Amino acid sequence: MPGPKRKGINIFWFVAIALTAIACAALLYAGRGRTVNAGRRESTEKDDHFRMVLAGIEADLAAGKISPDQAEGAKGELAREILRLRAEDGDRRAGQLGLGTIAAGLAGVALLSFATYAVLGNPGMGGQPLAARPEVAAQQMNLVDAVARIEARLAREPDDLRGWTVVAPALVELGRYADAAGAYQRIIDLSGATAQLETDLAEALLLEAGGQGSETAMAHLRTAAALDGRHVQSRLYLAAELTRMGQYQEAAQFWQAALALAEGGEPWLEAARQGLAVAQNNGVDTSAEQQAEMIGAMVSSLSSRLYESGGSVEEWTQLVRSYIVLGDLSEAQLAYDRAVSAYPQAFDRGELDTIALSAGLELNGVEP
Amino acid sequence: MTIEIGHFSLILASALALVSAFGGLVLWRRGERLAAILAQSALLQFLLVGIAFAALVQAFVVSDFSLALAANNSHSLKPLIYKISGVWGNHEGSLVLWILILVLFGALVAAFGRRLPDDLFNLVQGTQSLLVAAFGAFTLFTSNPFERLTQPPLEGADLNPVLQDIGLAIHPPLLYAGYVGFSICFSFAIAALVSGRIDQAWARWVRPWTMLSWIFLTLGIAMGSYWAYYELGWGGWWFWDPVENASFMPWLAGTALLHSALVMEKRNALKIWTIFLSIITFSLSLLGTFLVRSGVLTSVHTFASDPTRGLVILTMLAVLIGGAFLLFAMRASALRQGGLFAPISREGALILNNLFLATAIGAILVGTLYPLLLDALVGTSISVGAPFFDLTFGALMAPLLLVLPFGPLLPWKRADLVAAGQRLMGAAALAVFLTILISALGGISISLAPVGLLLGFWVLFGSFAEIIERARIGRIPARESVRRLMGLPRSIWATALGHMGLGLTVLGIVSVTAWETELVTTLNPGESAELAGYEITFEDFAQVPGPNYMADTGIFAVTAPGGQVAHLHAERRSYVASGMPTTEAAIETYGLSQLYLQLGEPLADTHVLRVWHKPYILLIWIGTLVMSGAGVLSLTDRRLRFGAPKQARRHSIEAAE
Repeated sequence: MPGPKRKGINIFWFVAIALTAIACAALLYAGRGRTVNAGRRESTEKDDHFRMVLAGIEADLAAGKISPDQAEGAKGELAREILRLRAEDGDRRAGQLGLGTIAAGLAGVALLSFATYAVLGNPGMGGQPLAARPEVAAQQMNLVDAVARIEARLAREPDDLRGWTVVAPALVELGRYADAAGAYQRIIDLSGATAQLETDLAEALLLEAGGQGSETAMAHLRTAAALDGRHVQSRLYLAAELTRMGQYQEAAQFWQAALALAEGGEPWLEAARQGLAVAQNNGVDTSAEQQAEMIGAMVSSLSSRLYESGGSVEEWTQLVRSYIVLGDLSEAQLAYDRAVSAYPQAFDRGELDTIALSAGLELNGVEP
Repeated sequence: MTIEIGHFSLILASALALVSAFGGLVLWRRGERLAAILAQSALLQFLLVGIAFAALVQAFVVSDFSLALAANNSHSLKPLIYKISGVWGNHEGSLVLWILILVLFGALVAAFGRRLPDDLFNLVQGTQSLLVAAFGAFTLFTSNPFERLTQPPLEGADLNPVLQDIGLAIHPPLLYAGYVGFSICFSFAIAALVSGRIDQAWARWVRPWTMLSWIFLTLGIAMGSYWAYYELGWGGWWFWDPVENASFMPWLAGTALLHSALVMEKRNALKIWTIFLSIITFSLSLLGTFLVRSGVLTSVHTFASDPTRGLVILTMLAVLIGGAFLLFAMRASALRQGGLFAPISREGALILNNLFLATAIGAILVGTLYPLLLDALVGTSISVGAPFFDLTFGALMAPLLLVLPFGPLLPWKRADLVAAGQRLMGAAALAVFLTILISALGGISISLAPVGLLLGFWVLFGSFAEIIERARIGRIPARESVRRLMGLPRSIWATALGHMGLGLTVLGIVSVTAWETELVTTLNPGESAELAGYEITFEDFAQVPGPNYMADTGIFAVTAPGGQVAHLHAERRSYVASGMPTTEAAIETYGLSQLYLQLGEPLADTHVLRVWHKPYILLIWIGTLVMSGAGVLSLTDRRLRFGAPKQARRHSIEAAE
């Protein structure tokens, strides 16, 4: 988002220039003989001092502490000191400071400040108070409460498209699949069907049915595929469901269609190739098992090494990430707990915390 | 964005200071207009550094870990007060606090020093600005507190648990106010050397600033001592730790400066020595602050240190202090010497005071630096411990305390020692009587304790001799005496109180050193132990969570000899973020004495308990409070007040001529 950042920079420079300008103006103002806060007068303090010394001598004389002779001597000493200082003052007058010198000085201040800041500063870098940071907000926001609030509003204003759009994925996340499907249906009613919306609806229905493909879900997926000839997600779902239902021929077509739409590097490519192979082999999987075994072996060797002899925070991060990707959240939580106890200072765990907390893991053992 | 505004403000303030330093030190003869600009600049520097400091505080309070300083030293679970005090619980932040106090003093001189002669004012502000520019640049280029992290961690590394205490909120600001306040005396000394003009009025201007800094330093050191006493968990209140010495040396020098400036103000004597002391005092303050930061000394006070930083600091100190002494060497001979006086006189007594204090500084300086030098040059590592300091410092202080009560009783110029001695007979008799009484009651043992007590009481009672003398108590009707007491100048009261505070501190030190008792034992809940007539029962043991730590808490019931029962909680805390343990001792006060309980390491099935009985230990700190109070009283004296209003009674100076 270049917009807000640019705006931040502009405000920063505005404040910086304003500060410099105010400082220079105050100094100029003082230099022109009128002062903002620091008026100065001719010095009289020294005279005060000698008056007080004199008063002290007279008080001592009056109290009988010193004799009149001594008092005369002390006064004479004082008078000589005053005369000497006055003579010194006489030859000390030099010209006043010129306005040109002042202006040059102020220009120097401004130049020096901006040049130094250019070297050291990070203009436009905003603050990141902990409470305002997204990963923390996600951790702290109570999803259930938020969804309940939005639903209450939607009950009053059922035509609030934005409300439905926000609440639908949240309902999926909360596991309320039937309500989520209803929400997606409502969005489609309000804004018209798109391939993505039909797919999201089908996904909610599939999840509701516990992975058993329902006729309605399949119908929505087919609508989605028909609505958009380049929609990948709906085709992948169709292919997977058809494979599961044993309709290998049609499944193979959808696998191929999805693969044909791939641009390369998508995370689902490998799974789709395996699916196609299974469909073409009429349901017999040869490679997938081996591959899953390989991944599992890798993760378990990393995990046993880390659990036994510990490792760097990066290795722990890799392990937690692997479990999250494999969908094994309880193992991920265990690994995360171990990593936290190995690295109790959150300061060391920057990336790990972000990954773990955004996957819904809990930070145990830090708060007493 | 506030962080970046703060960063810019600190840079702007340093740039302003650099240009002001040039203006003040080079163009100082250019009169009133320059003075007005420098005064304005001093106020602006204070405002700008204030903005920078506020930006840091704000980042700590909202746990903005994109500020590297906050990420390294704060923690989101920390209580608010420790988030704030955490700003200066580290190298970079403490530098900003240091500079903030420096510019605060500069602004105070600008606000209250309006009646100073222009050229003196220009030189003073120029020197102050030079210090601000030097330390501002050091901060920005080698220890920038405004460094940012593009990938901020989710949690900070937390502050050292030992520092998570109210002490950190109070001790460093007070101590720094004391250290930095002496920069004003330093600047006045440089101004006197550059302008070649030094007179009694100079001493009159310097004295309030010396007094103010001295008060802060006294309180800061006392606070630090009490903090160490209750937080470090083994009941010691002074360790002769290099850093403590580093703060004690400027205090001794500042005390000497207070007394010598008095001679200069009243008698126009000791001028060059006073200038020298002003430079020494601030140099020792710099040494105190930055020797620690350079990493040359390692102790509790050393935050993360790195060698380049240390090198820069040492170079800066060498240039600043060396430059000042070079200037002193070049100009001191050109200064006019002061008046002469007899050895037995108020001046003479004050010189004796300065002599002992200066020697004490020398001894401590040697004891602190000698091991370092030896290590650096020969590679032998030795440690100069408390016995060395106790012995040398004690030996130097005993004669000082012995002659102290005489000082205020001696008149200026020429005095009669016998007459002063007669007036102190009462105090001496009282001190001897009390010492014999206490020794008799406490059982006689061959030790230095009675001598210490004698000195303490002697100073305590002797300090009032002048007041009793002036009020003619016992020689004229009581009502008349009270009237005279009320009429005494506050400076007389301040002198008496200040010396009395010292007496109290001495008594506290002697009492704790001589009569402290200690008990180390193992206890289980339900069992009891006894020390110095106090019965200590281990009532219960529990694990209690705190905001950012877990605590093993021991609950004790203490029955005093008088029968009253107190319930104490002693804790061992383990801080979550750092895993560091701390001990929180339980301290119960009985009058001026304290019982100090420390829960030790847990053993297999029992707990180690350490108990100390510290008789009259509070006198140590009460004495320092009395001393500081005396300083405040002296500041309110008409003769020392900032920008004193003109006298009502006008004596014309011409009459004297």
